[in-house]
Amino acid sequence: MTEEGRDPKVSARYAELAREAPPRELDEAILAAARREAGARPAPLVAPAGRRRWYFPLAAAAVIVLAVSVTLQVERERPDVAAPQAMRDEPHPASPAAPAQDKAVVAEPDRARQAAREPERPLVARPGAAQRGAVVGVEPSKPAIESRRFTPDPGPAVAAKPAPAPAGAPAAPPPVAEPSRASAGVAGRIAEEAADTPERQLERIAELRRQGRHEEADRALAEFRRRHPEYRIPEAMLQKVLPPR
Amino acid sequence: MEVSDEELMLAYRDGDAAAFERLYARHKGPLYRFVLRSIRERALAEELYQEVWMRVVESRARYEPQARFRTWLYTIAHNRMVDHWRRRGLSLVSLDAEDPGENPGIEPAAAPGSEPERALEGRERLARFARALEALPPAQREAFLLREEGGMSVAEIAHATGANEEAAKSRLRYALAKLKKAVGDD
Repeated sequence: MTEEGRDPKVSARYAELAREAPPRELDEAILAAARREAGARPAPLVAPAGRRRWYFPLAAAAVIVLAVSVTLQVERERPDVAAPQAMRDEPHPASPAAPAQDKAVVAEPDRARQAAREPERPLVARPGAAQRGAVVGVEPSKPAIESRRFTPDPGPAVAAKPAPAPAGAPAAPPPVAEPSRASAGVAGRIAEEAADTPERQLERIAELRRQGRHEEADRALAEFRRRHPEYRIPEAMLQKVLPPR
Repeated sequence: MEVSDEELMLAYRDGDAAAFERLYARHKGPLYRFVLRSIRERALAEELYQEVWMRVVESRARYEPQARFRTWLYTIAHNRMVDHWRRRGLSLVSLDAEDPGENPGIEPAAAPGSEPERALEGRERLARFARALEALPPAQREAFLLREEGGMSVAEIAHATGANEEAAKSRLRYALAKLKKAVGDD
């Protein structure tokens, strides 16, 4: 034995035996399993290179954008949920206690929490929300409250609709709601009428034309166009709101 | 300079499947023959052989080159074979006992030679050697195969088989003595 545990003659004879090898299918099965395992690694210990380098930052950015979008959407939707409650309290707009009541509707028991949420609320009514008849923001701006409080209810069943005239009598001009206050500046009030729809505002302007209050109607129409530049006035209504030639 | 087994295994641990392919190509033949000539039942040997490599694949995340990769690989193979022998009702002690070797699984290769007589003589020599190898007790045969196929030292054989060096040296010495006798009978 020239080397510990080895005999050259024995080794030579052993080397003459058949050199069996695993079948090809066995090789392929093992290598496929090894490749699968290598591909299924949770995370490489070395930094990924090439295109793979961007996968994680992109995924993280997408998740953040999605989360922020959803949060903003939820924040925007929340006041709409409170709207029905605010609208239910509107039948008492003329009451002297109304401002306090409005605030009571708005105020949550936890005033600290309300104060904390204050900056998130919009300070003015959003036009889109006004068209839906919803009060935007838990606590609307003061002009919005005023307009709801001192203008007739825009609903079709209340003051905006003239009382039916007796048969045969000439059609009296429909009463304008609280003319003394209206004279204080109808145009300005229309501008502040966040809860009114454009159609109702046009009806008011047409009413002013019928009453011959063209100056106020002009101002109101100008304000209307400023507020609703995209609104296309129907031809029939246009004849009513434009100044007579 | 050739990349070492340990470096290839580390590369595979880090996700390089090609490194495993190189490692596999290096060791597949010797390991296969080691298992086949230890078990001597081809279907079972192939099953155990696959299990050994699967164990390597599954253990890659924990692999640390504390010993030679080759030693680690044959240690896994040894453990798988011990499990197999246990299932067959053989104890570890019996591994040193004589094994009649009823199933001749080792095939002699075609002996080189141009003349038919010499070729026949060569095949007979190889057949005798193969029978002598099969007749070795499992533990002695394992030690011899680890030496020849695995290229392992006595210390490494002891480590892979969980024996002390004296026992490993003794098994190897007995195996060589018997095989030398088979060669000397030629």
